[in-house]
Amino acid sequence: MTKLLRKLMDAAYKILEGNKILSRFKPVLGATDEFFFGTDKVTVGAPHIRDSIDLKRYMITVLIAVLPCAAAGVYFFGIRVIGLIMVSYIAGGVCEVLFSVIRKKEINEGFLITGIIYPLILPPDIPFWMAAVGIIVGVVFGKEVFGGTGKNIFNPAMVGRIFLAVAFPIEMTSEWRVPFADAITSATPLISFKGMGALASNWNLLLGNIPGSVGETCKIAIILGGIFLIITKVANWRIPLSYLGTLAVLSLVFNKIWPGSFAPPLFQLLSGGLLFGAIFMATDPVTSPFTQGARWIYGILLGVLTVCIRGFSGYVEGVMFAIIFMNIFSPLLDQMILGFRFRNAGK
Amino acid sequence: MNSRKSKRKKLALRFVLKRYSRIFLNTLWNDNPICRMVLGICSTLAVTNRLANAVAMGLGVTFAMAVSSVSISLIRNLVPRRVRMIVYMIVISTAVILVDRYLKAYFPEISEAMGPYVGLIITNCIIMGRAESYASVNKPMASFIDALGAGAGYTFALLVIATVRELLGFGSIFNIKVLGPDWTSWVIMIMAPGAFLVLGVFIWVIRSIQKSYDATP
Repeated sequence: MTKLLRKLMDAAYKILEGNKILSRFKPVLGATDEFFFGTDKVTVGAPHIRDSIDLKRYMITVLIAVLPCAAAGVYFFGIRVIGLIMVSYIAGGVCEVLFSVIRKKEINEGFLITGIIYPLILPPDIPFWMAAVGIIVGVVFGKEVFGGTGKNIFNPAMVGRIFLAVAFPIEMTSEWRVPFADAITSATPLISFKGMGALASNWNLLLGNIPGSVGETCKIAIILGGIFLIITKVANWRIPLSYLGTLAVLSLVFNKIWPGSFAPPLFQLLSGGLLFGAIFMATDPVTSPFTQGARWIYGILLGVLTVCIRGFSGYVEGVMFAIIFMNIFSPLLDQMILGFRFRNAGK
Repeated sequence: MNSRKSKRKKLALRFVLKRYSRIFLNTLWNDNPICRMVLGICSTLAVTNRLANAVAMGLGVTFAMAVSSVSISLIRNLVPRRVRMIVYMIVISTAVILVDRYLKAYFPEISEAMGPYVGLIITNCIIMGRAESYASVNKPMASFIDALGAGAGYTFALLVIATVRELLGFGSIFNIKVLGPDWTSWVIMIMAPGAFLVLGVFIWVIRSIQKSYDATP
């Protein structure tokens, strides 16, 4: 089987190199080839990998960790979720291929992750064309204008979602489908807390039997994926720990001071996109800091921002804005930590 | 005898036309105020949510720039270097007040929609830039053509950006619905972030066409 594939690939390479027009699409073939047979190249840009695994295995690990969330999304919100994921892969993939063909670069597998994470942070009822617009904006303006995977400042999936949230506020914030029901919409736990002070039961929050974005509702699947990521050392444990810890402490204190606008810690931890964001998006190796000290600060500031946006602003959920906001500061935090570590080096 | 004279006249005319068209095209395209000089960005972001506003703004700036460039070019040898900025400012303000009054009298709705941005044409960097770098050292006719070119380039940029923004943000062009009643408005295009996005893409595309990047050695 593998021999046959290898022969097919070699034949395809020959055809491509012989033809002038087709040879522009060499990156596409290269990506397919590497997908099956691995690569012998060394990773140059971020994420910096100091292990024997290369970028591809690294991304595949994240993909495996996200799969339980995707499965939970399909289980709760129906077959439509698979359509969303396909739209995201196709629309984003076309942009990715277009850019790599024009710029004559390799196609990078970073998109495999963006393409699956992005549909998981969308509302389940969003029209397909809207999802396509979001992923195109995310890939082009979140990643390609900065030079491709490893050079982006912002998390591309988050850029896509923020664009949608600002461009289509009604579709993105008001219609949340109830799990297992096709046409019934209701408010998410965070919205009903903000509106009426109602707290959903922690058990339902944990299982995911609540309205919300596709992949964020089932907390058990997210926690499973997070444990897998941390055991394989693909995600650093410092960011989720400091993020969630800060949020728990702050919400405990603020809940005592302003019980009306700040929910108790357990509810805050289990509601909204917090866990999903903390585990899959805040730990993105490209857009988060790479020094350990900076990771602690990064997580703490994320927690402070999220609690403040949830409690003080008009938005019910602050994870998205907190992560995008802190992405800007991650190089700065790294520089601060490096300057602190090497403060005596120049003397 | 007579024919030779007219021939020479024709040649001279053609030479002059060629020179002026080069000046015009230079500021319209090669040195486009938005894409190459990146001047006048504030007004570009502010008034491009509707095409009608963009047209009014583009024409207003072009008019103000033409008037002030010619006047500044006429008095360029009389103004002491030290106070030239203040003098230019007075000339430009006069032209802008003319535009403002005209809009208020004949197009009150557009004047209302654009709010303070008509008065703020005074601070439009393109006008001061052309006055300082071109009109203060060139003859009136050349300055006039130069101002027209810069105005046309500015208007062109405004029209492209406003078309995209109005089409996506309201689903209409010149307030006529063209995308049907089912069109979902892109709220971001009406707001400032959308303007930044479209402006960035516009500059990107134009510079790709011109094949001129700042990074070229």
